[in-house]
Amino acid sequence: MSLVNYLVLSGILFSIGAVTVLVRRNAIVAFMGVELMLNAANLTFVTFARMHGELQGQVIAFFVMVVAATEVVIGLAIIVSIFRTRGSASIDDVNLLKS
Amino acid sequence: MTAFVPPEIDWAALTPILIVLGTAVLMVLIEAFVPTRVRRAVQTVLAVVALGGALVAVAWRWGVVQSQGGSELVGGALLEDGPALFTQGVLLLLSFAGVLIIADRYQGEDAFAPTGAAIPGSTYEEEARRAGLVQTEVFPLTMFAVGGMLVFPAAGDLLTMFIALEVLSLPLYLLSGLSRRRRLLSQEASLKYFLLGAFSSAFFLMGMALLYGYSGSIRLSEIAKAVPAMAGMDSLLLAGVVLVIVGLLFKVGAVPFHAWVPDVYQGAPTPITGFMAACTKVAAFGALLRFVYVVTPGLTWDLSAFLWGIAILTMVVGTVLAIVQTDMKRTLAYSSIAHAGFVLLGIIALDVRGISSVLFYLLAYGLATIGAFGLVALVRERDAEGNITGEASHLSQWAGLGRRSPVLSVCFALFLLSFAGIPLTAGFIGKFAVFSAAIAGGAWPLVVIAVLASAAAAFFYVRIIVLMFFTEPATTADGRETTVVAGEGLTTVAVLLCAVGTVLLGVLPSPILDLAASAAKFML
Amino acid sequence: MTNPYIPILIMGGLALLLGVGGLAASAVIGPKRYNKVKVDAYECGIQPTPHAVGMGRFPIKYYLVAMTFIIFDIEVVFLYPWAVAFSELAVFGLVAMMGFLFLITVPFVYEWRRGGLDWD
Repeated sequence: MSLVNYLVLSGILFSIGAVTVLVRRNAIVAFMGVELMLNAANLTFVTFARMHGELQGQVIAFFVMVVAATEVVIGLAIIVSIFRTRGSASIDDVNLLKS
Repeated sequence: MTAFVPPEIDWAALTPILIVLGTAVLMVLIEAFVPTRVRRAVQTVLAVVALGGALVAVAWRWGVVQSQGGSELVGGALLEDGPALFTQGVLLLLSFAGVLIIADRYQGEDAFAPTGAAIPGSTYEEEARRAGLVQTEVFPLTMFAVGGMLVFPAAGDLLTMFIALEVLSLPLYLLSGLSRRRRLLSQEASLKYFLLGAFSSAFFLMGMALLYGYSGSIRLSEIAKAVPAMAGMDSLLLAGVVLVIVGLLFKVGAVPFHAWVPDVYQGAPTPITGFMAACTKVAAFGALLRFVYVVTPGLTWDLSAFLWGIAILTMVVGTVLAIVQTDMKRTLAYSSIAHAGFVLLGIIALDVRGISSVLFYLLAYGLATIGAFGLVALVRERDAEGNITGEASHLSQWAGLGRRSPVLSVCFALFLLSFAGIPLTAGFIGKFAVFSAAIAGGAWPLVVIAVLASAAAAFFYVRIIVLMFFTEPATTADGRETTVVAGEGLTTVAVLLCAVGTVLLGVLPSPILDLAASAAKFML
Repeated sequence: MTNPYIPILIMGGLALLLGVGGLAASAVIGPKRYNKVKVDAYECGIQPTPHAVGMGRFPIKYYLVAMTFIIFDIEVVFLYPWAVAFSELAVFGLVAMMGFLFLITVPFVYEWRRGGLDWD
């Protein structure tokens, strides 16, 4: 099976993630879209590492996983605090700053 | 299979970064062990000392680099060269002033929520406020952000750049949600900043992955070497470069990627807004400068349309929207977007003078920004009973301020004039340097637009000055009026630092210009 | 010669088109009839209760547990490859990992001192 297929898959995942961020109204779902994008990039890294026959890309994938985890911690903290204030995690309700 | 060789680590060259990040870790331990009463004092002193020490260390490394040339640190993950050190020096100077403003408080209350986890308006929050709780975690968070900013423009590979981007962004997401007053707005700003920031870093990462696939390395110099050999893979290279640049432009707040700027600048606690507006922009432009000048010179033809479009949009949209704002923080936010457009001119120039002019511009812009936001934090509302409440951020509330507090108004006017680029202020020299670099780089149509945008921008800066000095203060029906609070003097020190710097750079720019010119060489 | 990466770009474009197109089409032409069953949560055939225990919310404590879990989750991501290459990395790897473990411990100590580990 050609390695290019993995790249195609990661392209699809990245697009799905980006569209999710742009169209979904729930902050947590939008955030899941971001995670999907990060993991699509991970898949690209690992595939290219395989193509180039070296390990660097796989090591980068570890770092990206760590960054994704820290983003989860920070992001959920922000979303939880907003949810406790308003009882909703919808981005549409977050519109006080629109002027 | 090659044997593992531990990378050579030049600890001396790492001192500025180590001081800042080491202090940040120490501050977390202080949060854990030092009793509440003294925590704030300890943290403030520690932050100021650490930033000052790091600044001295940068000056020392500057001397070393000037005599011996730049070097690769930690196996090439970090680079120590002129632009990196200059940017780090500017960052440390600005964050020094920024931390002073962050630490300042009025009647024992700083700009931050007593406990960030409390529900806004709840009894628990009120009790925490009465008990005098303070969120001293602000200091370690700021220091971590500064640490990330120091690494960002010095990164020698894209992975280090990405990690630095996250280390500087994540604390800022939290800090922007911690405002003491108008907490709902603040939390909203935090969420927006976070979602869009994470979105953009995903783009950066994908760009990095494509560049890795193209060149087989994430080292900037290796990618630059692989650029000429783009036989049949140019779409991969171009897509990668554009995605990485988009990720960086987001942090800078350039126009199609600016949606977060006004909301976050308005919602975040004002001292944080100043810190973030100045320092994030300096760090991100430092990184963008390195990426564009090291990796893309071979791609000028493919990229210029993209970068030109962004620069024009940024200048025009920033200026036009700044004119129609009615909120002081939003006005300054849009003006900072317009300034990002001016700095982009120097980056597009792709000329040695482009580097030094951008470095100078960033210093001039940063000083005026920190000072202006520091003053915005002091102008407050007073209700009919004489209680001081939140900031008087509506433009009309600034009317007639010049008569009641002339010193503050004169300083604010100075910063506005520097933003506008009036001669004898730092902003004028900065604009002049950037524009002439752009002309040298052949981008004269951009300069024409930039001059027009500056002229239009001068209009709303002058309008604010007229409002402050030549307009009668408006009276509101419910007896609210605008007043200026004194704080504990820390803001005064910081603002004076910025004001003196702005005037000095405007009157005697040559030493700093020479310094920036001697910095203008990227290590490959 | 055809560029081997053009298919990826085409595929990415198609994916984007499909995602956006599907959502746009359903927003434009789809009927919008909501009834109670449709908006209810699907509970495997069980009648959904009006509210979950505590209005469907759970204590904030669980969030702290999740966060602590992530700290150690991250730790293992790096510990595992380090352990595999332990003998080759030798002293350098050991010292670097000790530094890393210390830095991981710092926020943990912070959490413990601030009462993040007390359940009540």
